[in-house]
Amino acid sequence: MSQVTFENVGKKFGQDVWAVQEFNLQVNNGEFVSFLGPSGCGKTTTLRMIAGLEENTHGLIRFDSDIVSDPIRKKFLPPEQRHVGMVFQSYAVWPHMNVFENVAYPLKLKKISREQIKKDVAEILEIVELQGLADRSPHQLSGGQQQRVALARGLVMKPRILLLDEPLSNLDAKLREKMRKDIRTIQQRLNLTVVYVTHDQTEAFQMSDRVVVMNKGRMEQVGTPHEISNEPKTEFVQDFVRSHQ
Amino acid sequence: MRKLIYILCLVLVGALFVAPLIYLVTWPDLESYRLALSNINTVKAISNTFLVSLSVGVLCLILGVPLAWLLTRTNLPGKDRWRSWFCYPYAIPPFVGAIGWIILANPNSGLLNQLLPFQINIYSFWGLVWVETSFLFTFVLLTALASLDRMDSSYEEAARLSGASGLRVFKDISLPLLRPAIINGFILSFLATAASFGVPALIGGPARIYLMTTQIYTFQRMGTTQGIQMSIAVSVLLMLATFVLLGVVQKLFAKSQVSLVGGKSARPSLIPLGRWKTPVLFCLSGLLFVLFVLPLLGILISSLAQVQGDWSLSKMGFQNFERVLFETEETSRALTQSFVLGLGAAALCTVFSFFFAYFLVNTKWLGRNLSAILVSLPFSTPGTVLALALILTFSQGYFGIGPSLYNTLFLILIAYIVKYQSLSLKTMADGYSQIHVSLEEAARISGANWWTVLRTIYFPLLKPSLVASIFLVFMPVVSELTMTILLTGPGLETVGTLIFSLQEYSDVGGGGASVLSVLVVSTVLFLNFSLKKLSKGRYGL
Repeated sequence: MSQVTFENVGKKFGQDVWAVQEFNLQVNNGEFVSFLGPSGCGKTTTLRMIAGLEENTHGLIRFDSDIVSDPIRKKFLPPEQRHVGMVFQSYAVWPHMNVFENVAYPLKLKKISREQIKKDVAEILEIVELQGLADRSPHQLSGGQQQRVALARGLVMKPRILLLDEPLSNLDAKLREKMRKDIRTIQQRLNLTVVYVTHDQTEAFQMSDRVVVMNKGRMEQVGTPHEISNEPKTEFVQDFVRSHQ
Repeated sequence: MRKLIYILCLVLVGALFVAPLIYLVTWPDLESYRLALSNINTVKAISNTFLVSLSVGVLCLILGVPLAWLLTRTNLPGKDRWRSWFCYPYAIPPFVGAIGWIILANPNSGLLNQLLPFQINIYSFWGLVWVETSFLFTFVLLTALASLDRMDSSYEEAARLSGASGLRVFKDISLPLLRPAIINGFILSFLATAASFGVPALIGGPARIYLMTTQIYTFQRMGTTQGIQMSIAVSVLLMLATFVLLGVVQKLFAKSQVSLVGGKSARPSLIPLGRWKTPVLFCLSGLLFVLFVLPLLGILISSLAQVQGDWSLSKMGFQNFERVLFETEETSRALTQSFVLGLGAAALCTVFSFFFAYFLVNTKWLGRNLSAILVSLPFSTPGTVLALALILTFSQGYFGIGPSLYNTLFLILIAYIVKYQSLSLKTMADGYSQIHVSLEEAARISGANWWTVLRTIYFPLLKPSLVASIFLVFMPVVSELTMTILLTGPGLETVGTLIFSLQEYSDVGGGGASVLSVLVVSTVLFLNFSLKKLSKGRYGL
């Protein structure tokens, strides 16, 4: 696992539209950090910049001491070389592959031996509680199960960082509750560095070590759930926290 | 790497799809326009083209719009079946229909003229209009069907609840909402008539009614410098007229499109035909028989008749098939060449689209929208004009570089690719847009580079679109005539040109053209069925 450092990261579209601006943060090794904010606040863009799916136009992003993106030095590590796992809001489970093939995909690209792949996949499927479903195709799975396939696929290559983009928003309330606990348990058990994007305050507060509240592309406040709810630093945070209680 | 391929695609688009057309426009000087426009034949051809196209366009509307309404909004039994049947003419090359109608209604020995108490002369203005209409009404029908399928049915339901009857709703609500589609369908059939070659050559020729396309062909065959100059001038006029018309329609269309599709569309409630059901079914059967079955029956009978003009059952046999298929040396060459050209064009178009459609749908790179429009230009260009542009561009090497491609199969292949690329690109872009971009991103995150993403994610997911693209290019190419007739030469026969030459001079009265026509029709229908089956109804008629 790695730590992620943002130094003055920004993303500008066209002349003067800032999606993200002056973003400074260090996510420590084994830490669970959530980006919280209303839609359009730049949280998903920031997450995708960690993955390399978006390019930051300003500042630099570091994994441990490796610079993965620095527009000034024209350095940009493409997503396939960043070694991060990601769970998408839409799950993005490939419909033409069964559960095993989906999860095994990252390992196959690394030319790992068949035996080892089998072993790793079985292990990870057990962690996400999908044992016995390896041969199913995605359309035979429920939303919650597809979610777990996506999670397993993100975890199987032992990524430096695990990214989750509103992963629970398509699940019903009861399942969501269970998944929150499961994700947090897995994170602690494997000591994962996790960046989690959500607009749901309960979710963020329940799972995270630290929460970053964002608004209009800027960070409003960074702190533990306790700090944010008890000592909101800006009016926006205060309103946001209050309106969700 | 990705950028490099994109740039390569753009270069190809510029070099093959745009440059020849621009080159053609810059070729003639004012003098050759003056020469062309002072030629009585040219002027006549232009006015003929306008009159025939206008008549065909209007007739197509009269035929297509009510049909579309019947096939979507009423409780007509077996609607899906009817729909397929009425759309089949879209897939069949019109010159085959022309041959069918010549057999049925030529003034000397026409089958119908022997059976019916009155005489029909297909070699006439209205004969020409009729044959064109019997194929091109599908342009109106298909666009109207697509619009009616997409139209928010609550517009119509609100009108019914306001007390309007079924036909009233159609007149007050559907028809006005359909107007853009109807205008578009009209323009498409108008332009298709103006661009057609086979039908006006086979039917207009004997009737001495020349259109611009047949006039271009005649000028070009004269082989003189002046002939070439005039054919180019007429071509440019035809092309510019086409693009101006299309541009105007696009402008009209862009504004009114918005209102058509409202919110969620439920199944529209169907209007009961009631006591009209039997008469309607009777009329539809009659119409289908005259439009579609009759001309095909014509070529079938003619292909079996030992003596053309003697249609009695006792004189039927398979001699024509034997003679054409096994004893004519051109036939096997034409069949092979058409097949290879079709497959080659289909494969190359599809490979190009597989890459290019990716850039169109999944990137926001500069020039992608413009280049998509440019790729569709040759498809809208009349085939005759496009062929001429390619001849000019490639006859001394590509703009003077490399060997001349004139009189080679290779130039025919290029023509097919340039003309039909648009069909393939649309299909693939459609396929890409059905695939959520997160499927690609998930693969990138998993460690796949772009090639691997194409190979392991897009290729398997896009198989249905790839197959459809191959079919959609292969089908029109395998019987193409309009461009091929200008590009062909000794030894370069294709099925289309062979049918044409058999019908026009080398096998007059022999039924040879009919034999090959039967072959073409059955191949095209078979391919269409296969495509429909393979794509589970998404593609095909």
